[in-house]
Amino acid sequence: MPLKAVRSSMSPDSAPNRDRSDGRPSFLGHGVGLRRDHFERVLSDPAAVDWFEALSENFMVEGGRPLDVLTRVRERYPVVLHGVSLSIGSTDPLDQAYLARLDALARRFQPAWVSDHLCWTGVGGRNAHDLLPLPYTEAALDHVVERVQRVQERLGRPIALENVSSYVAYRHSALAEWEFLAEVALRSGCGILLDINNIYVSARNHGFDPGAYLEGIPPHKVWQFHLAGHSDKGAYLLDTHDHPVIDPVWELYREAVLRFGPVSTLIEWDDRIPAFERLEQESQRARAIHDEALPRLAGPAAVTAAPAGRPAGLGSHP
Amino acid sequence: MKTGGQVDLKRTQELFWELITAPEGVRAAIDSLSRRGLVDEPSLNSLFTGDQGLPAVERLDIYANMYFYRLLDCLAEDFPKTLAAVGPARFHNLVTDYLLRHPSEHPSLRYLGQRLPQFIATHPLLEAFPHLADLARLEWARADVFDAPDVQPLSRDVLARLPQDRAGDARFTLIPAFALLRFDHEVVSFWRKLDERAGGHAGTAAASGAAIHGGGSGNAAREAPDPGASPSGEVPEPPSLPAPARRSAAARVWRRDFIVYHCSLDEEEARCLDLVLAGESIGRICQQLAAGRSLVKATARAGRMMQGWLEDGILAEVALNETTR
Repeated sequence: MPLKAVRSSMSPDSAPNRDRSDGRPSFLGHGVGLRRDHFERVLSDPAAVDWFEALSENFMVEGGRPLDVLTRVRERYPVVLHGVSLSIGSTDPLDQAYLARLDALARRFQPAWVSDHLCWTGVGGRNAHDLLPLPYTEAALDHVVERVQRVQERLGRPIALENVSSYVAYRHSALAEWEFLAEVALRSGCGILLDINNIYVSARNHGFDPGAYLEGIPPHKVWQFHLAGHSDKGAYLLDTHDHPVIDPVWELYREAVLRFGPVSTLIEWDDRIPAFERLEQESQRARAIHDEALPRLAGPAAVTAAPAGRPAGLGSHP
Repeated sequence: MKTGGQVDLKRTQELFWELITAPEGVRAAIDSLSRRGLVDEPSLNSLFTGDQGLPAVERLDIYANMYFYRLLDCLAEDFPKTLAAVGPARFHNLVTDYLLRHPSEHPSLRYLGQRLPQFIATHPLLEAFPHLADLARLEWARADVFDAPDVQPLSRDVLARLPQDRAGDARFTLIPAFALLRFDHEVVSFWRKLDERAGGHAGTAAASGAAIHGGGSGNAAREAPDPGASPSGEVPEPPSLPAPARRSAAARVWRRDFIVYHCSLDEEEARCLDLVLAGESIGRICQQLAAGRSLVKATARAGRMMQGWLEDGILAEVALNETTR
């Protein structure tokens, strides 16, 4: 199917930290999601991780402890803002108040980048607070690309969009999920947050080849990886983020590193959250796989890896 | 349903929404839509994927469960004592009714429970638990001040610098993380009993380093509880506490050093805080306290009260003609 070529409205100069030859933002190393269970631990001792991802909506508040914690974390580490309510695929109008809050948050914390999900979360002014799947059609593609461009113009920066785990699909989808994701990125100028576990979960739930997914994603658009655990419900996999990453997902991660090179990688663990040290172990395992796989890559890797736990400072990541 | 075009995307999303938010599940939603001549199961199967191993209806039910249980979790986190007071089964049904009337309309789960106290005030559950709306109001106030703007509390030194001869003209401003509440039931002591039963260690002022609204649970999937957990599929309900007495009561809720507190107030202090909130002067507050007291006793009472406000950090500023901090 011919796909329309639409130029991105974002100039390359407006991208955050574009210090790689292929235009991707800086490689941050290996990080974990910042969760309240670990606030004290993260602030009291140096963490054996390179960066943190903060859930944007949790910090769209006026005061209190979460904002104070994020301020102090940001003084020590690079931070990425990761949202769950942009609802980029909804047919509702873009929520300008939400975008204003996200913009203010980004200006305050100067994240390495801002991300959300390739999905919709509500319609008719209501929010399911869940990541609902889109039909992968030309019409949906046009709709999403146009909205991504408007969001990027409003925020003054390109964003990254993540592939979601899904449990149902639409029979009238004309594109594979990875084709849709790749086209959104190529047409809108946004980056891709490739969730390796979500690829694995959706591949099982819909019967596609996760390797084909990786092959279909343009390497220069991939800014970040997510890794997480899931639950096997027998008839399907559920993206519960409450288990360690399983071996087949680690293997898929290794394949992703081989295909995409050094990509900032984050461990998500959102339920039955263990001690922070357990997350550090998961992150170290990701680092080991990454370090083992990288020398196999042909050609020079145009990146500078970040040493673990390096201080960032609020002004160091414009 | 036709495919392609934004109109169809909108219709698809509206149908998806209707299916996953139906309180009795996707199958019941399909039956309802079918009776209204809108969608039947064959047309649904032509829209959504599914197979023998996992039919479309069951796939959509995964989303329906995630929708409800994520929001239930969020409300359980913001209203733990309300949940404890009525038990999980009644709370589940209350949330079901609440979400039908007030689905989330905000990008953040932080606001999901905003209208729950008022909703409870009109809910049949109030007959068996007449104190429940008051208890929920106390819990929402605690959740609300948790992330109110940060303000440095007024220091004793600044207050001491007020010129003695003009102190009566000065006006206090309270911190944003403050709420004054009035109740029809003694829910402050009831809250404490529930907290003690749950293993809390609340002192005179009930303290809590409350959490991020919605649990900061990110985008993880939510599941229904394991049906095998108990014979009824519900957590067994704890023995109920005696209901709190029906009596007019007041409380203040505030945050200091990122910790949320609340305490009971007598009506006199509540009226004085009403005056502060209305922007009345310290002199006017003292007049309020002078009724039926000697000047010495009224002054002593005012001093103790303001001392308490200073110590608890609920005062933000004191001002004469210009702001004094």
